[in-house]
Amino acid sequence: MNTKFCVNLSFSKNDPDKATVGFVIANAAVASNKETMVFLSTEGVRLATPGYADDIAEPGFAPLKELMANFAKAGGKIFVCSPCFKRRGLDETKLVAGATIVGGAKLVEFLSENASSVSF
Amino acid sequence: MGCGELVLELRFRMAELAGGTQLHLIASDPGAPEDLPAWCRMTGNRLVRAEHPDYWIERG
Repeated sequence: MNTKFCVNLSFSKNDPDKATVGFVIANAAVASNKETMVFLSTEGVRLATPGYADDIAEPGFAPLKELMANFAKAGGKIFVCSPCFKRRGLDETKLVAGATIVGGAKLVEFLSENASSVSF
Repeated sequence: MGCGELVLELRFRMAELAGGTQLHLIASDPGAPEDLPAWCRMTGNRLVRAEHPDYWIERG
């Protein structure tokens, strides 16, 4: 049985519904004892900036800030696409809990270790 | 509360219990009848009884 699970997320405030559901599914994975990683790329990387997600709250879901905090509390990891982050001029010294800036090799390594993934 | 929010909260609550202790969960989410048995299978907890929306789960 696969023990690694990856959620690819490339949206933030440009599609708060997808951003929220991505973390809901990530929380289901980490709650189910999967080694879970959310890979943030393109517009999704904005979620790694503290405070950015504070005003994202989709009807029917917990606020995104709470979903992300619980994900980190449960041991979930967030990988943040380095070039995507840089090209948006974001501050790499300030990241939300559980987040790490990575390059493609780190993602490839994780996925190559028999991981399952879902994309939003 | 349902889906990932529900099972993550469930994980936090179960972690506070001693092995063999049962938790009575009331989950009205329509996905719960499929999700909760799956979660129990993956996490080694035992679904003792399920009568939606009532679930009794024993910590494994």
